[in-house]
Amino acid sequence: MASRFPVITGLGIVTAAGFGVDEVWRSITHGESGLKPLTLFESPRYGQILTGEIRRDLSELGAPLHGSRSDRLGWLAARDAIASSRIDLQNYGDRAGVLLGSSVGGSFDSERFLTALIKRGRMRARPTRFHECVSAVDWIADEFGLFGPSMAVATACSSGALAIATAAELIMSGEADLMLAGGADSLSRMTWGGFHSLLLVDTAGCRPFDAKRAGMSLGEGGAVLVLEAEETARQRNANILARLTGWGASCDAYHSTAPHPEGAGALTAMQSALRRAGLEPSAIDYINAHGTGTRDNDLAESKALRQLFGERIPPVSSTKRFFGHALAASGAIEAIVCIEALRRQEVPPNPGFTALDPAIGIEPVTSHRRAPLTHVMSNSFGFGGNNAVLIFSRADVTPLTRPVQLKPVAITGLGVIGPGTAAPCDIEPPLPAGKVLAHDCGTLDTTTLNPTQRRRTSRLIQMALIAARRSHHPVSPDRLSVAIGTGMGCLSSAAAFLENLVSKDEREPMPAQFPSSVHNAPAGQVAMDLGARAMNSAPTVGEISFECALWQSISQLSANEADKALAGSVDELNKYVLSIGQRWRMWTEQTRPGEGAVVAGLARPESATAPLARVTVVRLGRYRRPFDAEHETDWITDAVDLAKVDVLLSGAKGLPALEPLYASVAAALSKRAGREIEHQTYKQLCGEFHSASAFGFSVAVNLVRSQRRGVLLYTLALRGAKAVCFVQP
Amino acid sequence: MEISLTELKAKIIESLKLQDITPDKIADDAPLFGEGLGLDSIDALELVVMLEKNYGIVIKDIEEGRPAFRSARALADFINARRPAA
Repeated sequence: MASRFPVITGLGIVTAAGFGVDEVWRSITHGESGLKPLTLFESPRYGQILTGEIRRDLSELGAPLHGSRSDRLGWLAARDAIASSRIDLQNYGDRAGVLLGSSVGGSFDSERFLTALIKRGRMRARPTRFHECVSAVDWIADEFGLFGPSMAVATACSSGALAIATAAELIMSGEADLMLAGGADSLSRMTWGGFHSLLLVDTAGCRPFDAKRAGMSLGEGGAVLVLEAEETARQRNANILARLTGWGASCDAYHSTAPHPEGAGALTAMQSALRRAGLEPSAIDYINAHGTGTRDNDLAESKALRQLFGERIPPVSSTKRFFGHALAASGAIEAIVCIEALRRQEVPPNPGFTALDPAIGIEPVTSHRRAPLTHVMSNSFGFGGNNAVLIFSRADVTPLTRPVQLKPVAITGLGVIGPGTAAPCDIEPPLPAGKVLAHDCGTLDTTTLNPTQRRRTSRLIQMALIAARRSHHPVSPDRLSVAIGTGMGCLSSAAAFLENLVSKDEREPMPAQFPSSVHNAPAGQVAMDLGARAMNSAPTVGEISFECALWQSISQLSANEADKALAGSVDELNKYVLSIGQRWRMWTEQTRPGEGAVVAGLARPESATAPLARVTVVRLGRYRRPFDAEHETDWITDAVDLAKVDVLLSGAKGLPALEPLYASVAAALSKRAGREIEHQTYKQLCGEFHSASAFGFSVAVNLVRSQRRGVLLYTLALRGAKAVCFVQP
Repeated sequence: MEISLTELKAKIIESLKLQDITPDKIADDAPLFGEGLGLDSIDALELVVMLEKNYGIVIKDIEEGRPAFRSARALADFINARRPAA
């Protein structure tokens, strides 16, 4: 087990303060901020204030003309990380994967689609192909031949750090030998207008921890680490740059945008990372703070630091003024800063700080200096109160990291919104179209929600809230984790916010819509509703978003980081999903759009009194193209005892392109088993949508309960990801 | 012209999408935030937008608006003092 320790063998980074590790470090040692006036798009109201925009031409840096700006930033970082670690990915087969954080996905590009639609009534569907947060992940996996787990997490500003933490769990549990892990986010009108509407942007550029700090500076970037199991890295004589020895995640469960005023969640996440690493606070030699420069974040973070370290706070700096706050990329950028600090034995400074704030009482590192560093900590906190903390250690230390071993979990409750019955759809698409049959869940019964939830949250969030309440039997919410996936996220809130921004030239913004538009809004609101303070996540991985939420939940329970977990997924039918699908000619008599939310309550088997069923296996990966049913069968039977499988429950009866793939796996599994394994489907009931497999999971649980049979839930995503999940009595 | 408190309360209800509340249910001096109507920091931001849209008052720092958000009467006084001359 010891040899499963995650080590870092490659780095790739693209930011406003430099391209590549050496350029970035040069900016840091010279104290040169990458903030410059915005030129990427016009901002009629806010103008050209200081921003961490990457002004280099991405094509000149070598990024192919493909995908969104975010995708290209992620691709550049991944390419350089692979090159610097000198790996041959051909050797890894299903054992290498990719996991990136993203907060807005291809928003910068799909905004052009929306602008054209609003201002000229024209529909250019192409940019919407890259809108989803998982777009960069799918492209990188296809381009570099990664067939292991692929996932995107969208927990706003902590995404990059949570992606690295989850990748480490995949490696330690033996699910992968190598993971490209990090984050990518481009600037977008959405986040630009959003943070301005919250009055959180400092027009003078961010001044973290300074007495006169007045907000953040936005930025963009891509940063990717090559994370490997120590044993495979040693086998290939890789150059080990550093180790990831600790990671921890938590949720404030306090407010959608404001941090807990005492930094309670930040403290829990730091403690959890130390516990995982087997270290005392006194072992930490440097902290790369979240330090956005907002009044509230820096104050809350400093309180958490004081509670954890007492009077002996290690050197602290926020490096946000170098890069701007690159949202989902930021946790990964700062991870690389920490790794380089360890390698060079140098402490990066905190530009923007000039005067001590007595309320904070911490003076950050003001100038670059040398110092002996063994263990360093990187903090990332985000909207929805999502916190993730990473601890990196020098390559030559002996890690004390606790092992991760995935164990079966009990399903203790199930909350389901849906399926809607197929009926002619009454949602009017932006462009005239023929009548579409859709599985609409209709009007929600929101009587149990509180007045703030009713007036403030969107229908998507309300679906998640109601499903979560139905699944949850309250026990110690402090130790409850929440992972709610979503394929398309809060598209209607995001579109409403953007439509308003574009049509009114940034006047009269809608501040309440912005926090509702982030992909982790459902998970964050559920945590607030239930007081769930353990890990909080929002995987956005197309058709396997639910299975990724399930994997993260099982990992938390197995590591004893939570006593109970909610795993679910939610997606909504709205005019955008409907009309984009129509533009791609997706909707037919058989392929009908759907929506719904499913949340499962999970616990360790020993603490579940009357479980509905058990989940014994969840496995993530990517399928080969051309599709290879024999290889799929090998991949499934490697994790699942075929003798116990009675039913294959697949995502067929949805997209026609996947139909023959599912059929061939059904046939190959029966052949391998030497008996007929019944092939059942669920999409004829709920329609086609990214969270449909969560509904499939509820069907599986009911089959197991009513017939005491073993059900294999097998899901393929159109863009190449796949998941298998085994549900047993 | 001074704005009427009833008109202002209606604007607050509209901009914050408050449900089951009518202007007469908001006392002139009752706190809007915390215990009063149970509003939070995002509601304060919505009120900032409401002030700009209806009364042309631009607030760039939320601290600037904080005393005004104490009650409906405080907000009316703030608007009357800050409103650009017509």
